[in-house]
Order: sequence, then structure tokens, then C-alpha cells
Amino acid sequence: MQGWADKILDIDLSSGTVETYPLDKDIARLFLGGRGLGARLLWDLVGPHVEPLSPENVLIFATGPLTASGAQTSNRFSVSTKSPLTGTILDANSGGWWGMQFKRTGHDALIVRGKADRPVMIEIGSEGVIIKDAAHLWGKTVFVTTEVLEQDNNKRNVLCIGPAGENLSRIAAIMNDGTRSLARGGAGAVMGSKNLKAIVVVGNQKNQPKDRDYFRFMLYETGKLIKASPLTSQALPEFGTVVVMNIINEIGALPTRNFQQSQFEGAEAISGERMTDTILVRNHACWACPIACTRLTRTSRTAGEGPEYETTWAFGAQCGIDDLEIIAEANYLCNDLGLDTISTGNTIGCAMELVDKGLIESDLRFGRAEMLHDVIRDIAYRRGIGDGLAEGSYRFAETYGASELSMSSKKLELPAYDPRGMQGQGLLFATSNRGGCHMRGNMLGPEVLGLPRLVDRLASQGKGGIVAVHQDSAALVDSLVLCKFTNMAVAEEYFARILTAITGETFTADDLMRAGERVWNLERLYNLREGFTRADDTLPERLLSEPVAEGPSEGFTVNLELMLEEYYQFRGWDEQGVPTPVKLAQLELDKLVEGAGT
Amino acid sequence: MIDQRLYEEFRDIGRDIYVGQITSSHGGNLSVRIGDRIVIKRRGAQLGRLKPSDLIETKLNRKDSGITRASTELIVHRTIYQKTSALAVVHCHPRTAVALSLSRDEIVPIDVEGSYLLHKVPVVAAEFASGTQDMADLVAEALREYKIIMLRGHGCFSTGQMLEEAFHWASCLEEASDIILETKLLGEKHIEYRRHSESYNKW
Repeated sequence: MQGWADKILDIDLSSGTVETYPLDKDIARLFLGGRGLGARLLWDLVGPHVEPLSPENVLIFATGPLTASGAQTSNRFSVSTKSPLTGTILDANSGGWWGMQFKRTGHDALIVRGKADRPVMIEIGSEGVIIKDAAHLWGKTVFVTTEVLEQDNNKRNVLCIGPAGENLSRIAAIMNDGTRSLARGGAGAVMGSKNLKAIVVVGNQKNQPKDRDYFRFMLYETGKLIKASPLTSQALPEFGTVVVMNIINEIGALPTRNFQQSQFEGAEAISGERMTDTILVRNHACWACPIACTRLTRTSRTAGEGPEYETTWAFGAQCGIDDLEIIAEANYLCNDLGLDTISTGNTIGCAMELVDKGLIESDLRFGRAEMLHDVIRDIAYRRGIGDGLAEGSYRFAETYGASELSMSSKKLELPAYDPRGMQGQGLLFATSNRGGCHMRGNMLGPEVLGLPRLVDRLASQGKGGIVAVHQDSAALVDSLVLCKFTNMAVAEEYFARILTAITGETFTADDLMRAGERVWNLERLYNLREGFTRADDTLPERLLSEPVAEGPSEGFTVNLELMLEEYYQFRGWDEQGVPTPVKLAQLELDKLVEGAGT
Repeated sequence: MIDQRLYEEFRDIGRDIYVGQITSSHGGNLSVRIGDRIVIKRRGAQLGRLKPSDLIETKLNRKDSGITRASTELIVHRTIYQKTSALAVVHCHPRTAVALSLSRDEIVPIDVEGSYLLHKVPVVAAEFASGTQDMADLVAEALREYKIIMLRGHGCFSTGQMLEEAFHWASCLEEASDIILETKLLGEKHIEYRRHSESYNKW
């Protein structure tokens, strides 16, 4: 293969049928792969009346044209589905090895439909596909499942769910290669609802560039940029993503105790510097990644991988906990049980505020580090208070008549940035198609790190366009599929040249950015078809009306309405946030929408 | 906390470098060593328009979160401080000196001030001429012998006890390079006026 494998694998677990068919070349050109391909396929396959945890929902695992090529960070893949947490379109992506290995089986995407009548697993090799009984694995944790399935053949890569997915927690993740996570939005529950425990892949096909010399040259040029950027060559390898903990705290944008404050007195104790000094064993890299941001860590009791910045925040500042070992172990536990760490920690922090406000009787209070691990287990196994928490913060808080205390947007728990101190990040959260998330075009770059240039983080005017461009760029990177950290050092023009070298077809930076914009708009159309409106492009009331009480962001709320208006105008959407016919025609989405009768 | 007077020094020297046209709008960087810390220009900040928030403080002997915002060349500045007694480092892109660095292994001034102050400026070359440890080692090693050096096709690094001193060497290099260029453009016979001038390239 040269770029695309030109083949889609389609498995119906209800009937046990396995089909393969060619990847439509126009779809590949317009949507590239990964998140884009997933959105395009989902548009046809899962309509507005499909309940996310029903057999009619599908899981689409997709790679991109660069996957397995050896280009820097070309190891990633995505899963697309309708989210049981948000009801929106969902994609989540992950690194490691599984995506590269799946691509080597000679497929661009795998569609999983229906529901097996008993726990099963799927094995995909270059010779064929087998659906096997997995009763012996049901109930097993992620680490045990992965170990058992890798035992026979350590060349295979394993993707699976843990108890959280089996028990249909709406914040359950799908895990691959043991510790990698397709985390957000509850895709793990969709897999659990299909009685699908695991997908094991082993392949031997190669993604070989059409123009090898030019490909090698582009990898050399890209490598230079990654090496020259302090972020990708020093900060991330040395400290991991937690490197930003002290910085975000310093500027007054570190959400603390369920976003009640924006600076955490214990930030230094859970910072990247502290992690490097204490629990870090060494760093580690995904396949074909020169950055190596992964942390291999050891506490006084156990060892594992991580935590990332978002996780450290979620179980740290969000819960008022400054014990790094407890936080790291909470991360190991979430990986083993198959839970999204951001949603888990955020939801626990929400519960702690409900307890503080006397809405729940429990000992689960801010700072109670010793309770953290048990609560996480209770969420995965839906025991006691964990049963409610497994529904995510919005549904949990709503049960107690306090949905405004859920720090979420479109019911997806917000990550580790208080948008009152980063206005553009607020707009990003509010308009994210999968709900409040920083991985849809993180404004950390322009608002804090000065990438590509520093803008005033507290200003709102002018942010609409910047956010939209960053969202399109993120959609592009997710469709190629590459790691977003690469994009912090390498611009789109490089990706276009790499794609050209691999496929032999000419792509420009503008073609790729337009593809990113197309993906974003299609996702928007999907959500509109599901009944979402402008009213859903919002944030928790706290962030809109309660000014930060003290610190560098003192006095600020998110000036959302102004930014939203600017954003819709920049996007070419009407004032209700609906893409105009002109915009749809520009993006070659007009026929798709007409065809669907929307 | 960065002192106001230190900020003003960065602001004024940064402005002088930009106005003196020895670097582009966002190119170049400055740093000073304060004990076991380095204060350095923020990556991407305009040298001619530095604000207090454009100064980043980071540790000298170990990395910390400051590296996410510091100049791309932090690694070079850090290595220079580790290997030399410098207290200030200026990096800029003097265009004539950069042009000369593309065709020679050293720049030997022919004017009085350049000869007196610099004698000779070596040109070093690295595969990745920006932000790598290999390049940092090369530059720092050269600065153990010289107060200013050229990185081929990129720019100069100069050291001093204060920013103004390091800036002086950069400014002087560019003036000396302009004179070399203009002398060549005139095409007239060069009348040597310095005793022992043949020894400058052995400096």
C-alpha cells in the first residue's frame, strides 16, 4: 500500500458476518482517514434515532494515510461512534502500536456493528478475521486481558475494554497496548454494549512511500523541527505533559476544587518537575515517535505508566489532592479498569462539591486522598456511590438537582484549564463537537506557550477566528492520524509534502486545512441532525457568571457570547450556528446533506 | 520575580539590536545568568518590543517548566553558562556577518575598532543550526576561546558580564563585516596599515 490500504473491514457481531469492500477514493481524498473517515462513515451508518448503547450504534476504528509509514508519530488511530455520554458524534484517538499493526493487516478502517449474544473477541491477521469466544476474559481487567492475549504471540497488539466498559459506564475508555487509551466520551461502554471484549491484530503489510527519496528528505526536515523545538525535544521528553502544571497555576488558570478557584496551593507538589524528581523511572515512546513524552513511574507501592497533565490535574487540583503517588496510582487503576481519567477525576470533584454543599451525605470530601482508589473501583464496578458517578458528572449532579455543578460542556467533563483565565480555551470547550475538550485545537499554544505567537489570554475579541483555525488544524491532524505534539513543532505544509510523497498524489497545505474544516463541519452537521443547537455551545454557569475571586485571572468570567458570534461569522455559519449553503458547497458537503434530506 | 531594572536592560538592548538592524522582528535572543538561574527572552517575543511577560526565568543546571516558553536557543545559552564564565549572552543575526560566514571559516576585521576589539571571529558549523545539544556544545566550546563567534549561515553568539557588553561585540562584528564587504565592493587595492596584521588570523 502507498498511503491508503483501499480496504474497509466490516463485521456484524449480531450475524457473525465479515465483509470487506474498497475504500471510496473520493471519501479518502476529502476526509483523509482517522477521525475524518470515521465521521463520514458514521454520517451514513448511525442516524438520529439510534440509542448509543443499542446494537444499531457502530464502532469505527480508523487509521490514516500516514499510519505505519514511519513518518514521525504515524502510530495513531481513532474510534468513532455516537457517544453514550454526550449524545454527540464522538471520536477518540490513541497512540502506541495497535494502530500501526492494524494498518499492516491491510485495512484502513474496521466497522463493528450489532451485538454478540455472548462475550466475544475479534482476531484480525493478514490471513483473515476470526470472531472468538471471550467468556474467559469477561470480567478481567485491562492488564490481565492484554497479558493473556499477548501470551501466545507477543507480536500481536491488543485493544480491549475493562470492567468499566463491560458495566456500561458512560465514562469508560477503550484501551490498547495495555496503557493507551481511547478515553473520552464513553466509547468503552459502546464496546461493552456489543459484548466485544477485545480486538487483537497482527499484520505484515507495509505502507511504502511512492517517492521514497522525497519521503526520506521530508522526514529529515520534520525531524529537524522536532529536534529544534524546546517543547518537543526537551520539555515533553524531560517532564511529560505535566510540564505545564506550574505554568497554568502561575497564570491563574488551574481549575481547583471543581473550578471554585483557579490556583492550587499544592500545584508544585504535583508538577512535572516534582514528578521527575520523585516517581519517574524513565520516559518512553510510541512507535515511530522521536518525542517520547510517556512517563514510566514507580510509587512506593507499585509501578505503571503516566500520569499525564490532565490526569494529574483531575485527581489532583480538581479533587484538592496533592499526593503525587496517590494520583499516579489512581491513573494506573483507571488504565486497568478502563476509565477516562479526566471524566473520572472531574466527576469525583463534582461529587466532592455536592458533599461540601450538603446535597449528598458522604465522606468523599476535597482532599480525601485515601478514598480516591476505592471510589474509582466503585465507578468501574458500579458499586454504591460509584453507580451514579459512572454516569458522568452531569447525570450524577442532575440526580441531586444540581446539574449546574457539573463542570462539563455537552455533558463531557472539562479538562485542566479554567477558561476564565484563557478566554479562547472557553470558546474552544463550548464549541467542541464531542463536548468540552482541549484536544480539539488546544489554545494552550497561542494563549500560554506562544505557539505560533502569544496572544492575550484574557482578551476575547479576535479569538473566534483563532479558535476555528486551531480546530480545523486539530481535525486535520486527527484525520492523518498523527500526534498533536508533532503539530506543535511542524506546520501543515510539511504534512502535505509527506502525504504527497507517500501517495504520489499532490496535496497542498491548503488542501489539508480545507479537509480539517470539512471534517469539523460534518461533525457539526451530525450534531445538528441529532438535535443540538446554539444553546448547547455553552459552558457551566459558574464560568460565565462567577468571576475568579483572586490571582492573575481575578475578576474574569468567560465572555462567551461575543466570541461565539465572531466564531460563527468566521466559520460561515448562520447566527444559530448552522453552516450556510455557501459554506457547505465550498466544502463539497452540499450533496451529502441534500442526499440525507437534512 | 524579575526585577524592573533587569527588564529595562532587556527592553533597551533588545530595542537597540532590532533598531540597529542586526536581527529580524522575532529573531535573536538575550539572556543573563543570575546565580543558579537564567533569565531569557520568551520564544517568539519581538526583540524590539519586549514586555515584562516576555522574560522567562528558568534554572541553569536543570530543566524545568520554563523551557516550554523560553527561547528556542535556551539550550545554547545554558551550555554557554555551564562551560564559560559568561554572565550575559546575546544572539542575533547580523546580516553581513552571516553572509561572510557562508564563504569563510573566520571573519578577520580590517578596521581599527574591529581589529582592536575582536581580532578574529571564528565561524563554526552545525548540521542543525538551531536549538540542539550538538550545536550548543560547539558554540559553547568556541566561546571558551572567543567572546563572539559566528554560527555559519545563522548568526552570532557573544558573551559578557552584562548584556550591554555582549551586545557591543555583536554590533562591532557587524560594523567590521560591513567594512570588509564595502572594501571588497570598492575593488581597490587594500593598503595595510596595521603592524603584525598577518597575526590576526592566528588569534
